[in-house]
Amino acid sequence: MDQLIQTVIIGLAEGLIFALVALGYTMVYGIIELINFAHGDVFMIGSLIAFFLLAPNQAGGGLGIFPLTAQTPVPLMIGEIVATLAITIALTAVLNMAIERLAYRPLRHAPKVAPLITAIGMSFVLQNVGLVFAGANQRTTENIFPKDNLLAGFGITGFEITVSQVFVAVVTVPLLVGLTWFVAKTRQGKAMRATAQDPDAAGLMGVDINRTISITFLIGGALAGAAGVVQILYNNVTLYSLGFRFGLNSFTAAVLGGIGNLRGAVLGALLLGQVNALSDRYIAPAWTNAIVFGVLIGIMVFRPTGLLGQQLADRA
Amino acid sequence: MSDQAESVDTSPPPIGTGLGAWLDHISQTVAGLPGRYRAAFRKKPRQTILVTVIVLLGLVYPLLDQYFLASFSRNVFPLPLPDDTVMTFMMIFGIMAVGLNIVAGFAGLLDLGYVAFYAIGAYVAAFLASPWLSAFGINLEFLSLQGAGQPGVHLPFWIIVPIAVVVVATFGALLGAPTLRLRGDYLAIVTLGFGEIVPLVFKNLSNVTWSLVLGPINIHLVGANLTGGVQGINPVDAPFLPILNIPFDAGAGFLPVYLGIVLLLIAILFARNLQYSRIGRAWIAIREDEVAAEMMGVNTVRTKLLAFALGASFAGVGGALQASYLGATTSDFFDFNISILVLIMIILGGIGNIWGVVVGAITLQYVDKTFLPYLGQRIQENAPGLPNPAEFNFLIFGIILLFMMRFRPQGFIPSRQREAELSVIGLSAAEAEMGIPTDEETGAPLDLDNIEVAPPGQSEVGPDARAPEVPGEGRDL
Repeated sequence: MDQLIQTVIIGLAEGLIFALVALGYTMVYGIIELINFAHGDVFMIGSLIAFFLLAPNQAGGGLGIFPLTAQTPVPLMIGEIVATLAITIALTAVLNMAIERLAYRPLRHAPKVAPLITAIGMSFVLQNVGLVFAGANQRTTENIFPKDNLLAGFGITGFEITVSQVFVAVVTVPLLVGLTWFVAKTRQGKAMRATAQDPDAAGLMGVDINRTISITFLIGGALAGAAGVVQILYNNVTLYSLGFRFGLNSFTAAVLGGIGNLRGAVLGALLLGQVNALSDRYIAPAWTNAIVFGVLIGIMVFRPTGLLGQQLADRA
Repeated sequence: MSDQAESVDTSPPPIGTGLGAWLDHISQTVAGLPGRYRAAFRKKPRQTILVTVIVLLGLVYPLLDQYFLASFSRNVFPLPLPDDTVMTFMMIFGIMAVGLNIVAGFAGLLDLGYVAFYAIGAYVAAFLASPWLSAFGINLEFLSLQGAGQPGVHLPFWIIVPIAVVVVATFGALLGAPTLRLRGDYLAIVTLGFGEIVPLVFKNLSNVTWSLVLGPINIHLVGANLTGGVQGINPVDAPFLPILNIPFDAGAGFLPVYLGIVLLLIAILFARNLQYSRIGRAWIAIREDEVAAEMMGVNTVRTKLLAFALGASFAGVGGALQASYLGATTSDFFDFNISILVLIMIILGGIGNIWGVVVGAITLQYVDKTFLPYLGQRIQENAPGLPNPAEFNFLIFGIILLFMMRFRPQGFIPSRQREAELSVIGLSAAEAEMGIPTDEETGAPLDLDNIEVAPPGQSEVGPDARAPEVPGEGRDL
């Protein structure tokens, strides 16, 4: 039992990171019906940027701009993490927006699979950019968080919640809530929803379609960047090919929840986190990817609208 | 390519069905070749001569390379010349490109997991022509062409190819069946998932503990290594011609290249016949408009399943040839990159055009396996600090993909039909943005109120004219 609870906790932390990436997929699909294959690689670039900012200079292999070790005093640590988040988010947001502007916008009226193929090409380009900057070997950082079990204070010893898992929640949950608020309550969010429903009608009503799509990619890139920072601090490892696995997990999450549906993406990501953790623990890590792909195929074939349904029925 | 010009009017006289009729049809086609060549020569002499020279050079190249160019390149002056291995792989990928072109080009079903069928074909060959199965007590040594006495199963390559075709076509239909309702991008992702799962299965089934007792069936596996895991299966028997005693393994010089050429030509012949057959027309019909095709009586379920099954079977041949030629197969070889590589080949060459995709496959394989490593070597010799382009081949391919989709989605040797369809991307900016038809010469929006309309029956607009495309509609491939 303790083991199961521990697995669920691990899955929850991973699911929250998936959620940040999944939102980028689901927003873009909702608005321009494009499976943005390169999104996982934007996340990978984000985690590499965070690695170079955070890893110490000599031994760590990073640039050491905000050198972070377990010995760094806590206030400084928080300041460095916030600064890293800000820089990474800014860079990946602009990167994602630039990708849309240069690669996808010219193909907006092309047959549907043309931008998908372009996105695959972009994914390869970004992967190789990562390869150029970080090399073919995985890059690891030191775990900066204390390893104490926070539940020990409550007398629970069978399973644990660590500071790093709390950190994941502290960064991701406000972002998820903030995004939901942004889309539901702001004027720009309304423009996004209108564009998702019917781009032509929204354009006629005075919504600047191009700007709205750009902002969607901006936000998606920002969330992917944040996920990249969280992932390097939580898992302490990054690699140029990380985006493929992470991206497909997150895309599966978005489809599971009902693509185009923000809450669905978060729900799907949390479920996918459980699938990953349970499979890693009880089946074998080697089979986890196959199981995730099996889930993806199963949903797409048998329930393409996902758990919470999608806004438009004719998309599958 | 020379026979393209006359391809329209060569529909054979109506003949019966069945294998005999099909052989009849093939012989008629072959017998008609000289006549068609002469006709092409009359029509476009320069192009025909050029194509003839290129094809003849290509056919003698493997011999030239082995007896002259290779030693020249090794001892006198290094040249970026493809060697036997690269040429054999050109043929393997040519076969795969022809197959993917059936699924993605003719039927318009984007398959991002084509590598799965390649892998299955390779493993079929590995199981049926290696000592591997002797570990499970299966020994059929009497089937070997190269002398008995070896443990395991040693079927000749010539029997493995049809078996691989059947097995892989079955898997193609299995993948096709649940995905029939899906279109465009969803289909692409499902096939991608399939393409990832299959190599993972081959990789992970290296330690299986499983037991099944079902009446007379009684299977007990304890830590069984079914697929060889990461190490894969080797040695695999090479293709072998018994009477002439010719092996076609990796050490046999130009011989496997010619085996590849023969198989590729057979693949092209099959694909061409399929393209102009009833089923080929049905594929193109569902690619254009599935609903309309169904209304016209096309059985879309059967048509799509056949596209998946027949398209996949080509990859089975490619996989079997690869495993037999290399004498080994490993799961790590079959990753997503291969699926995309074949996709780039057909996009580069011209999706929908058999000759185009073959040229695309040969070109890309040349760039990947010969030109980039050559360039990398020259760079390392002259300027050792610079990056090696061979390590960043997929950066180059990614950029090729981006540029092709943006500027030439119909490919470099397009099929005429696809070119006409895809030219909607080339609409003027104003037209694409607004969905308003524009004047072709000036690019100005047409004044629809004062447009001159020819009286009925005198329209200049031919049967090929299409309605202006409305943005947002017809996004499916």
